[in-house]
Amino acid sequence: MNFSDPSNMFEWIVYIANEYKYMFLEGLWITLYIAVIGTLVGFIVGYLVGMVQDIKINKQDNLIKRILMRTLKIICLVYVEIFRGTPMIVQGMIVYYGLLQANVKISPIFAGILVTVLNTGAYMAETVRGGINSVDKGQKEGAWSLGMSPMLTMFRVVLPQAFKNVVPEMVNTFLTNLKMTSVLNVIGVSELFLVAKTAGGTYYKYFESYLVIAVIYFVLCFVLNRLFLLLEKKLAKKKDYVLAVEYMKESA
Amino acid sequence: MSEKTAKKVIAIENLSKSFGDHQVLRKIDFAVEKGEVICIVGSSGSGKSTLLRCINKLEQQTDGKIYFNGKEVADRQKEINEYRSKVGMVFQSFNLFENMTVLKNCMIAVTSVLHESKQEAFERAIKHLKAVGMAPYINAYPSQLSGGQKQRVAIARALCMNPEVLLFDEPTSALDPEMVGGVLNVMKDLAHTGLTMIIVTHEMAFARDVSTRTIFMDRGYIVEDAPPKELFYNPKNPRTREFLSRFLNDQKNKAETEAVANG
Repeated sequence: MNFSDPSNMFEWIVYIANEYKYMFLEGLWITLYIAVIGTLVGFIVGYLVGMVQDIKINKQDNLIKRILMRTLKIICLVYVEIFRGTPMIVQGMIVYYGLLQANVKISPIFAGILVTVLNTGAYMAETVRGGINSVDKGQKEGAWSLGMSPMLTMFRVVLPQAFKNVVPEMVNTFLTNLKMTSVLNVIGVSELFLVAKTAGGTYYKYFESYLVIAVIYFVLCFVLNRLFLLLEKKLAKKKDYVLAVEYMKESA
Repeated sequence: MSEKTAKKVIAIENLSKSFGDHQVLRKIDFAVEKGEVICIVGSSGSGKSTLLRCINKLEQQTDGKIYFNGKEVADRQKEINEYRSKVGMVFQSFNLFENMTVLKNCMIAVTSVLHESKQEAFERAIKHLKAVGMAPYINAYPSQLSGGQKQRVAIARALCMNPEVLLFDEPTSALDPEMVGGVLNVMKDLAHTGLTMIIVTHEMAFARDVSTRTIFMDRGYIVEDAPPKELFYNPKNPRTREFLSRFLNDQKNKAETEAVANG
């Protein structure tokens, strides 16, 4: 086979992969960079918004606090609805060109991260809310009955339990984001998709070029998914407790 | 506030609670003195549990007032938290924190609400866990314990706060008969230490033997409020008599069979 002068499909794939290997690597790096940072910050946004949505407005609170809380809840609701109700590719365009038009100079990568954060946040908010709701109401009441404030109850009792329920969905969201970064090529982020587009365009070999990144995406997601599954299994394993023998006598 | 409520640990005046159109509590008045062990009995749906949950502010009353040591319990969250830290509660469904070990369950509120040191919280936890016979299980998670064990831990957790009053909401109703005894014994011991307790229960024999005062509730009213000997053996209200008749008959039959068995 002659890889330096490709004549069939297979040779072309190898040729493009080899010729553009540094660009593919850089694209892979940017894809991972946006996905990881966007997802992590998005999780924080999601948890905050999810928690705000769970707060019950107390009739006994004073008027200002009630108005503030109501406003905050409405903002969160509108945010979630908008970002869940529009495609990420459109959000990318609007955020990037919107900011440009408002004379805010941001790089495409930063815009890409911003869009990923906002998108992830909106979806995670709903997931977190569901996770919080899935924690038995008695857990809250148990904490309240000990004088723990609603805030303390949330952070020490409810969230740690909700977190456990939300982890699989968090993994899912991360893997989705890894693939969704491909839409950011429309605002000129040079992630994997744009590299493939460039490479394919140079030789008019689109099929071969996209096949290369398809394999990269697949291997990446497959490996990461297995890793997370392994981690989940390890976390879920209940350790047996050890009886504190030093207290055995007194209580027998 | 009347003169007499000033001296009571907990005093309830004119308390009403409705869920929508359904009125659960109707103008409840009663007061608890220090050291009293009060059992509240009555059929399901009579408002016993709601009354207890109102006392601990887990339910907001529709009308009426609650006084703690002569001071009205306000509706501000901060004051409610402080009040709750002095009035413990034990639930039918235990409500132990699933994400914490037995030890942590007992320590968390002592450190985070009362701001005691870790050492102090640990000592309290061990002391009370020993008292309920659960000290060897400090490293276990609630899901690894039986119902009776969980309830005993829940009692220890409440005691760690050094509460002035302890409320029990049907503490044995979710337990199988074998485990009920252990929990009731712990409660009996507690009653003898002079702790003020309000207990909603279906365990009639326990109410008769341990309480200093028994309250019978029906359809949201306190129908009868008397020392247990009086309420159980000489009930004044026909509704109380009707409710207790079954229990008293059982007791009579038991006594007769025992008498026969003993010759």
